[in-house]
Amino acid sequence: MKPEGNNKELIKSEAIGYTKDLLVKITVGTSVLVLLMLYSIPKLGAQGIDDHIPDLAGIWDGSPRARPVNGENVPWGEDNFPVLNERAIAYQQVWEEIMAPKYDCQPASSPAIQYDPYHMLVTQWPDRVLFRYEKDDQLRTVWLDGREPSATDFSIQGFSVGYYEDDVLHVTTTHFVFDVAGFDDYNGIPSSSQKVITEEYWRDGEDLKVTLTIEDPMFLRESTAYTTRWVAGREGYKLAAYDCDPESSRASVRFYPSKYK
Amino acid sequence: MSIRHWKKAAAAGVILGLIMMMAPVIAHHASTPFYDSSKRVEIEGAVTRFVFRNPHAFLYLDVTVGNGDTSEWQIELGAPVGLRRMGWTPDSLPTGMIVKASGQPSRADGSQGLCCVRMTKADGSPVLEGGRVEERTPAR
Repeated sequence: MKPEGNNKELIKSEAIGYTKDLLVKITVGTSVLVLLMLYSIPKLGAQGIDDHIPDLAGIWDGSPRARPVNGENVPWGEDNFPVLNERAIAYQQVWEEIMAPKYDCQPASSPAIQYDPYHMLVTQWPDRVLFRYEKDDQLRTVWLDGREPSATDFSIQGFSVGYYEDDVLHVTTTHFVFDVAGFDDYNGIPSSSQKVITEEYWRDGEDLKVTLTIEDPMFLRESTAYTTRWVAGREGYKLAAYDCDPESSRASVRFYPSKYK
Repeated sequence: MSIRHWKKAAAAGVILGLIMMMAPVIAHHASTPFYDSSKRVEIEGAVTRFVFRNPHAFLYLDVTVGNGDTSEWQIELGAPVGLRRMGWTPDSLPTGMIVKASGQPSRADGSQGLCCVRMTKADGSPVLEGGRVEERTPAR
Protein backbone atom coordinates (compact mmCIF):
# COMPACT_ATOMS: atom_id res chain seq x y z
CA MET A 1 0.00 0.00 0.00
CA LYS A 2 2.80 2.32 0.92
CA PRO A 3 4.50 2.08 -2.42
CA GLU A 4 1.18 2.95 -4.00
CA GLY A 5 0.93 5.94 -1.68
CA ASN A 6 4.43 7.01 -2.61
CA ASN A 7 3.54 6.71 -6.26
CA LYS A 8 0.50 8.89 -5.76
CA GLU A 9 2.61 11.51 -3.96
CA LEU A 10 5.17 11.30 -6.74
CA ILE A 11 2.51 11.71 -9.41
CA LYS A 12 0.94 14.63 -7.48
CA SER A 13 4.35 16.28 -7.06
CA GLU A 14 5.12 15.86 -10.79
CA ALA A 15 1.71 17.25 -11.68
CA ILE A 16 2.27 20.33 -9.52
CA GLY A 17 5.71 20.79 -11.05
CA TYR A 18 4.28 20.48 -14.55
CA THR A 19 1.50 22.97 -13.77
CA LYS A 20 4.04 25.43 -12.37
CA ASP A 21 6.18 25.07 -15.50
CA LEU A 22 3.12 25.58 -17.66
CA LEU A 23 2.10 28.66 -15.71
CA VAL A 24 5.59 30.11 -15.98
CA LYS A 25 5.66 29.39 -19.72
CA ILE A 26 2.22 30.93 -20.21
CA THR A 27 3.18 33.98 -18.16
CA VAL A 28 6.47 34.47 -20.00
CA GLY A 29 4.81 33.82 -23.36
CA THR A 30 1.99 36.26 -22.65
CA SER A 31 4.45 38.88 -21.43
CA VAL A 32 6.56 38.52 -24.58
CA LEU A 33 3.40 38.74 -26.71
CA VAL A 34 2.20 41.86 -24.88
CA LEU A 35 5.62 43.46 -25.22
CA LEU A 36 5.69 42.64 -28.92
CA MET A 37 2.21 44.12 -29.37
CA LEU A 38 3.14 47.26 -27.45
CA TYR A 39 6.27 47.59 -29.53
CA SER A 40 4.40 47.14 -32.80
CA ILE A 41 1.46 49.50 -32.06
CA PRO A 42 3.28 52.71 -32.99
CA LYS A 43 4.35 51.11 -36.26
CA LEU A 44 0.82 49.98 -37.06
CA GLY A 45 -0.44 53.45 -36.13
CA ALA A 46 2.01 55.13 -38.45
CA GLN A 47 4.26 57.23 -36.27
CA GLY A 48 5.42 57.48 -32.68
CA ILE A 49 5.64 60.47 -30.43
CA ASP A 50 9.15 61.39 -31.54
CA ASP A 51 8.06 62.58 -34.92
CA HIS A 52 7.12 66.12 -33.85
CA ILE A 53 3.46 65.92 -34.66
CA PRO A 54 1.92 69.38 -35.01
CA ASP A 55 -1.51 70.09 -33.54
CA LEU A 56 -3.60 70.68 -36.64
CA ALA A 57 -6.92 69.56 -35.22
CA GLY A 58 -9.94 71.84 -35.08
CA ILE A 59 -12.21 74.07 -37.11
CA TRP A 60 -10.32 76.34 -39.49
CA ASP A 61 -11.75 79.38 -41.22
CA GLY A 62 -10.66 79.98 -44.82
CA SER A 63 -13.22 82.74 -45.47
CA PRO A 64 -12.21 86.32 -46.31
CA ARG A 65 -11.28 86.65 -42.63
CA ALA A 66 -8.18 84.65 -43.58
CA ARG A 67 -7.45 85.66 -47.18
CA PRO A 68 -8.87 87.10 -50.40
CA VAL A 69 -11.75 85.25 -51.99
CA ASN A 70 -10.77 82.75 -54.68
CA GLY A 71 -11.12 83.64 -58.34
CA GLU A 72 -9.51 83.70 -61.73
CA ASN A 73 -6.41 85.48 -60.43
CA VAL A 74 -6.36 84.10 -56.91
CA PRO A 75 -4.37 82.20 -55.74
CA TRP A 76 -2.70 82.07 -59.13
CA GLY A 77 -1.05 85.34 -60.09
CA GLU A 78 1.76 86.50 -62.32
CA ASP A 79 4.40 84.86 -60.16
CA ASN A 80 2.93 81.37 -59.97
CA PHE A 81 0.51 81.02 -62.89
CA PRO A 82 1.33 77.67 -64.51
CA VAL A 83 3.21 77.33 -67.77
CA LEU A 84 0.76 75.42 -69.98
CA ASN A 85 1.70 72.99 -72.72
CA GLU A 86 0.00 73.00 -76.14
CA ARG A 87 -2.53 70.42 -75.03
CA ALA A 88 -3.72 72.61 -72.18
CA ILE A 89 -3.86 75.65 -74.45
CA ALA A 90 -6.00 73.70 -76.93
CA TYR A 91 -8.40 72.84 -74.12
CA GLN A 92 -8.54 76.49 -73.09
CA GLN A 93 -9.46 77.52 -76.62
CA VAL A 94 -12.64 75.45 -76.61
CA TRP A 95 -13.33 76.15 -72.97
CA GLU A 96 -16.49 77.90 -71.84
CA GLU A 97 -17.23 78.63 -68.21
CA ILE A 98 -20.49 76.68 -68.32
CA MET A 99 -18.56 73.47 -69.13
CA ALA A 100 -17.31 73.37 -65.56
CA PRO A 101 -18.84 70.37 -63.81
CA LYS A 102 -19.37 72.48 -60.69
CA TYR A 103 -22.55 73.76 -62.39
CA ASP A 104 -23.86 70.23 -61.92
CA CYS A 105 -22.65 70.13 -58.30
CA GLN A 106 -19.49 68.12 -58.97
CA PRO A 107 -17.30 68.90 -55.95
CA ALA A 108 -14.15 70.96 -56.14
CA SER A 109 -10.90 69.05 -55.76
CA SER A 110 -7.25 69.82 -55.18
CA PRO A 111 -5.72 72.33 -55.72
CA ALA A 112 -8.94 74.43 -55.64
CA ILE A 113 -10.78 73.11 -52.61
CA GLN A 114 -7.98 74.15 -50.26
CA TYR A 115 -8.40 77.76 -51.38
CA ASP A 116 -12.19 77.89 -51.44
CA PRO A 117 -13.28 80.44 -48.86
CA TYR A 118 -15.03 78.13 -46.45
CA HIS A 119 -14.40 76.40 -43.15
CA MET A 120 -12.82 72.99 -42.72
CA LEU A 121 -12.48 70.56 -39.85
CA VAL A 122 -9.19 68.73 -39.32
CA THR A 123 -9.13 65.56 -37.24
CA GLN A 124 -5.90 63.75 -36.38
CA TRP A 125 -6.03 60.04 -35.67
CA PRO A 126 -2.96 57.84 -35.12
CA ASP A 127 -3.18 56.30 -38.56
CA ARG A 128 -4.82 59.08 -40.58
CA VAL A 129 -5.68 62.76 -40.84
CA LEU A 130 -9.19 63.71 -41.91
CA PHE A 131 -9.95 66.93 -43.76
CA ARG A 132 -13.66 67.69 -43.78
CA TYR A 133 -14.47 70.61 -46.09
CA GLU A 134 -17.64 72.64 -45.64
CA LYS A 135 -17.55 73.40 -49.36
CA ASP A 136 -19.24 70.60 -51.24
CA ASP A 137 -19.41 68.38 -48.11
CA GLN A 138 -16.10 66.76 -49.01
CA LEU A 139 -13.94 64.47 -46.87
CA ARG A 140 -10.31 63.71 -47.63
CA THR A 141 -8.47 61.00 -45.75
CA VAL A 142 -4.69 61.18 -45.52
CA TRP A 143 -3.33 57.76 -44.62
CA LEU A 144 -0.32 57.69 -42.34
CA ASP A 145 0.03 53.92 -42.02
CA GLY A 146 2.09 53.26 -45.10
CA ARG A 147 -0.67 51.88 -47.28
CA GLU A 148 -0.53 52.44 -51.00
CA PRO A 149 -3.32 53.08 -53.49
CA SER A 150 -4.60 50.26 -55.61
CA ALA A 151 -5.44 50.56 -59.29
CA THR A 152 -9.10 51.12 -58.40
CA ASP A 153 -8.52 54.04 -56.01
CA PHE A 154 -9.15 56.80 -58.55
CA SER A 155 -11.60 59.47 -57.41
CA ILE A 156 -12.32 63.20 -57.51
CA GLN A 157 -10.25 63.76 -54.36
CA GLY A 158 -7.62 61.18 -55.26
CA PHE A 159 -5.72 58.99 -52.79
CA SER A 160 -3.69 60.71 -50.10
CA VAL A 161 -0.81 59.41 -48.03
CA GLY A 162 1.31 61.34 -45.60
CA TYR A 163 3.71 61.52 -42.71
CA TYR A 164 4.83 63.92 -40.00
CA GLU A 165 8.30 65.34 -39.88
CA ASP A 166 9.61 68.25 -37.84
CA ASP A 167 6.15 69.59 -36.98
CA VAL A 168 4.97 69.44 -40.55
CA LEU A 169 2.35 67.16 -42.08
CA HIS A 170 3.48 66.12 -45.54
CA VAL A 171 0.76 64.87 -47.89
CA THR A 172 1.01 63.44 -51.39
CA THR A 173 -2.15 62.85 -53.39
CA THR A 174 -2.38 60.87 -56.62
CA HIS A 175 -5.11 58.88 -58.41
CA PHE A 176 -7.27 61.83 -59.44
CA VAL A 177 -9.82 61.28 -62.19
CA PHE A 178 -9.66 63.52 -65.25
CA ASP A 179 -11.39 66.85 -64.60
CA VAL A 180 -12.03 69.36 -67.37
CA ALA A 181 -11.70 72.17 -64.81
CA GLY A 182 -9.40 70.35 -62.44
CA PHE A 183 -6.66 72.91 -62.16
CA ASP A 184 -8.51 75.59 -60.24
CA ASP A 185 -12.18 75.90 -61.23
CA TYR A 186 -11.66 79.27 -62.93
CA ASN A 187 -9.24 79.20 -65.81
CA GLY A 188 -10.39 76.38 -68.04
CA ILE A 189 -7.29 74.33 -67.37
CA PRO A 190 -7.97 70.60 -67.08
CA SER A 191 -6.18 68.14 -64.86
CA SER A 192 -5.39 64.53 -65.66
CA SER A 193 -4.93 61.22 -63.88
CA GLN A 194 -1.25 62.19 -63.75
CA LYS A 195 -1.96 65.12 -61.45
CA VAL A 196 0.08 64.96 -58.25
CA ILE A 197 -0.60 67.31 -55.38
CA THR A 198 1.85 67.68 -52.53
CA GLU A 199 0.92 69.63 -49.42
CA GLU A 200 2.83 70.69 -46.35
CA TYR A 201 0.74 71.74 -43.37
CA TRP A 202 2.16 73.49 -40.35
CA ARG A 203 1.15 75.78 -37.51
CA ASP A 204 2.29 79.38 -37.62
CA GLY A 205 1.24 80.74 -34.24
CA GLU A 206 -2.55 80.59 -34.17
CA ASP A 207 -2.79 80.08 -37.94
CA LEU A 208 -2.74 76.93 -40.03
CA LYS A 209 -0.69 77.21 -43.19
CA VAL A 210 -0.19 75.07 -46.24
CA THR A 211 2.15 75.15 -49.18
CA LEU A 212 0.56 73.27 -52.04
CA THR A 213 2.40 72.16 -55.16
CA ILE A 214 0.75 70.81 -58.30
CA GLU A 215 2.36 68.88 -61.09
CA ASP A 216 0.57 67.43 -64.07
CA PRO A 217 2.81 66.62 -67.04
CA MET A 218 -0.25 66.07 -69.20
CA PHE A 219 -1.04 69.81 -69.12
CA LEU A 220 1.67 71.72 -67.23
CA ARG A 221 5.24 72.23 -68.39
CA GLU A 222 6.44 72.54 -64.81
CA SER A 223 5.08 72.36 -61.31
CA THR A 224 3.71 75.43 -59.56
CA ALA A 225 2.73 76.21 -55.99
CA TYR A 226 0.91 78.55 -53.65
CA THR A 227 0.92 79.10 -49.90
CA THR A 228 -2.17 80.08 -47.96
CA ARG A 229 -3.54 80.05 -44.45
CA TRP A 230 -6.59 79.45 -42.30
CA VAL A 231 -7.41 81.29 -39.10
CA ALA A 232 -8.93 79.52 -36.11
CA GLY A 233 -12.68 79.14 -36.48
CA ARG A 234 -14.80 81.17 -34.11
CA GLU A 235 -15.57 79.33 -30.87
CA GLY A 236 -18.57 77.07 -31.17
CA TYR A 237 -18.68 77.17 -34.96
CA LYS A 238 -19.93 73.97 -36.51
CA LEU A 239 -19.64 73.07 -40.16
CA ALA A 240 -22.90 73.58 -42.04
CA ALA A 241 -24.20 71.10 -44.57
CA TYR A 242 -23.58 72.34 -48.10
CA ASP A 243 -26.14 70.12 -49.84
CA CYS A 244 -25.43 71.51 -53.30
CA ASP A 245 -28.70 71.99 -55.16
CA PRO A 246 -28.51 71.17 -58.90
CA GLU A 247 -31.16 73.77 -59.80
CA SER A 248 -29.37 76.57 -57.95
CA SER A 249 -26.02 75.38 -59.22
CA ARG A 250 -27.16 75.67 -62.83
CA ALA A 251 -29.49 78.65 -62.55
CA SER A 252 -27.06 81.20 -63.95
CA VAL A 253 -25.89 79.06 -66.89
CA ARG A 254 -28.61 80.47 -69.16
CA PHE A 255 -27.08 83.92 -68.73
CA TYR A 256 -23.86 82.84 -70.43
CA PRO A 257 -23.51 83.89 -74.08
CA SER A 258 -22.16 80.63 -75.47
CA LYS A 259 -20.19 80.64 -78.73
CA TYR A 260 -21.51 77.16 -79.51
CA LYS A 261 -24.99 76.41 -80.82
CA MET B 1 -27.64 110.65 -27.08
CA SER B 2 -25.25 113.62 -27.38
CA ILE B 3 -24.03 114.99 -30.71
CA ARG B 4 -20.63 113.49 -29.94
CA HIS B 5 -22.18 110.06 -29.50
CA TRP B 6 -24.21 110.49 -32.69
CA LYS B 7 -21.01 111.35 -34.57
CA LYS B 8 -19.29 108.26 -33.19
CA ALA B 9 -22.26 106.08 -34.06
CA ALA B 10 -22.45 107.55 -37.57
CA ALA B 11 -18.73 107.03 -38.12
CA ALA B 12 -18.98 103.45 -36.89
CA GLY B 13 -21.94 102.90 -39.21
CA VAL B 14 -20.07 104.29 -42.20
CA ILE B 15 -17.01 102.16 -41.42
CA LEU B 16 -19.16 99.08 -40.93
CA GLY B 17 -21.03 99.86 -44.14
CA LEU B 18 -17.81 100.25 -46.08
CA ILE B 19 -16.43 97.03 -44.64
CA MET B 20 -19.58 95.17 -45.54
CA MET B 21 -19.65 96.57 -49.04
CA MET B 22 -16.03 95.67 -49.65
CA ALA B 23 -16.14 92.24 -48.09
CA PRO B 24 -16.52 89.70 -50.87
CA VAL B 25 -18.84 86.91 -49.86
CA ILE B 26 -18.32 83.26 -50.47
CA ALA B 27 -17.94 82.55 -54.16
CA HIS B 28 -18.73 79.46 -56.17
CA HIS B 29 -17.99 81.04 -59.52
CA ALA B 30 -16.91 84.32 -61.01
CA SER B 31 -19.70 86.69 -62.01
CA THR B 32 -18.04 88.19 -65.09
CA PRO B 33 -18.77 85.33 -67.53
CA PHE B 34 -22.47 85.71 -66.81
CA TYR B 35 -22.99 89.38 -65.92
CA ASP B 36 -21.76 92.65 -67.44
CA SER B 37 -19.97 94.65 -64.78
CA SER B 38 -19.86 97.75 -67.04
CA LYS B 39 -23.64 98.13 -66.87
CA ARG B 40 -26.15 98.75 -64.12
CA VAL B 41 -29.88 97.97 -64.16
CA GLU B 42 -32.51 98.92 -61.59
CA ILE B 43 -35.72 97.00 -61.10
CA GLU B 44 -38.59 96.86 -58.63
CA GLY B 45 -40.89 93.90 -58.30
CA ALA B 46 -42.74 91.39 -56.16
CA VAL B 47 -41.02 88.27 -54.87
CA THR B 48 -42.41 85.13 -56.48
CA ARG B 49 -39.77 82.68 -55.26
CA PHE B 50 -36.70 82.70 -53.03
CA VAL B 51 -34.54 79.61 -53.53
CA PHE B 52 -32.23 79.54 -50.53
CA ARG B 53 -29.90 76.72 -51.59
CA ASN B 54 -26.16 76.29 -52.11
CA PRO B 55 -24.09 77.09 -54.06
CA HIS B 56 -26.04 80.34 -54.70
CA ALA B 57 -29.38 81.63 -53.49
CA PHE B 58 -31.66 82.99 -56.22
CA LEU B 59 -34.47 85.48 -55.92
CA TYR B 60 -37.22 85.64 -58.55
CA LEU B 61 -39.20 88.84 -59.03
CA ASP B 62 -42.24 89.74 -61.11
CA VAL B 63 -41.52 93.18 -62.50
CA THR B 64 -44.35 95.20 -64.03
CA VAL B 65 -43.48 96.57 -67.44
CA GLY B 66 -44.91 99.49 -69.42
CA ASN B 67 -48.07 97.82 -70.72
CA GLY B 68 -48.98 96.42 -67.30
CA ASP B 69 -47.72 92.93 -67.98
CA THR B 70 -45.25 91.31 -65.62
CA SER B 71 -41.88 89.96 -66.54
CA GLU B 72 -39.72 87.61 -64.45
CA TRP B 73 -36.22 88.61 -63.32
CA GLN B 74 -33.74 86.31 -61.63
CA ILE B 75 -31.33 87.73 -59.05
CA GLU B 76 -28.25 85.79 -58.03
CA LEU B 77 -27.22 86.11 -54.40
CA GLY B 78 -24.44 84.61 -52.27
CA ALA B 79 -24.10 81.12 -50.85
CA PRO B 80 -26.61 80.36 -48.10
CA VAL B 81 -23.82 78.72 -46.08
CA GLY B 82 -22.38 82.23 -45.80
CA LEU B 83 -25.63 84.22 -45.88
CA ARG B 84 -26.89 82.33 -42.83
CA ARG B 85 -23.97 83.64 -40.83
CA MET B 86 -25.16 87.17 -41.66
CA GLY B 87 -28.67 86.43 -40.47
CA TRP B 88 -30.39 85.47 -43.72
CA THR B 89 -32.94 82.65 -43.69
CA PRO B 90 -35.25 81.12 -46.31
CA ASP B 91 -37.95 83.45 -44.91
CA SER B 92 -36.00 86.67 -45.34
CA LEU B 93 -37.72 87.40 -48.68
CA PRO B 94 -41.34 86.22 -48.45
CA THR B 95 -43.51 85.80 -51.53
CA GLY B 96 -45.25 89.06 -52.42
CA MET B 97 -42.68 91.30 -50.75
CA ILE B 98 -41.78 94.29 -52.93
CA VAL B 99 -38.05 94.85 -53.34
CA LYS B 100 -35.89 97.25 -55.29
CA ALA B 101 -32.65 95.96 -56.76
CA SER B 102 -29.88 97.44 -58.84
CA GLY B 103 -27.08 95.34 -60.19
CA GLN B 104 -25.15 94.01 -63.15
CA PRO B 105 -27.34 92.64 -65.95
CA SER B 106 -26.91 89.19 -67.44
CA ARG B 107 -25.03 88.89 -70.72
CA ALA B 108 -27.09 86.45 -72.81
CA ASP B 109 -29.43 88.11 -75.30
CA GLY B 110 -32.98 88.46 -74.02
CA SER B 111 -32.14 87.16 -70.55
CA GLN B 112 -33.26 88.99 -67.43
CA GLY B 113 -30.80 88.34 -64.68
CA LEU B 114 -28.96 90.46 -62.15
CA CYS B 115 -26.05 89.88 -59.87
CA CYS B 116 -24.01 91.76 -57.38
CA VAL B 117 -27.08 93.70 -56.33
CA ARG B 118 -27.84 96.54 -54.00
CA MET B 119 -31.23 95.52 -52.69
CA THR B 120 -33.77 97.21 -50.41
CA LYS B 121 -37.40 97.02 -49.43
CA ALA B 122 -39.79 99.31 -51.32
CA ASP B 123 -39.19 102.09 -48.76
CA GLY B 124 -35.41 101.93 -49.22
CA SER B 125 -34.64 100.16 -45.93
CA PRO B 126 -32.41 97.06 -45.83
CA VAL B 127 -34.12 93.76 -46.60
CA LEU B 128 -32.56 92.30 -43.49
CA GLU B 129 -33.05 94.28 -40.29
CA GLY B 130 -29.69 95.88 -39.55
CA GLY B 131 -28.23 94.23 -42.62
CA ARG B 132 -26.46 95.61 -45.59
CA VAL B 133 -28.08 96.43 -48.88
CA GLU B 134 -25.03 95.74 -51.07
CA GLU B 135 -25.23 92.03 -51.71
CA ARG B 136 -21.75 91.17 -52.85
CA THR B 137 -18.68 92.17 -54.71
CA PRO B 138 -17.83 90.24 -57.86
CA ALA B 139 -15.37 87.46 -57.21
CA ARG B 140 -12.63 88.71 -59.49
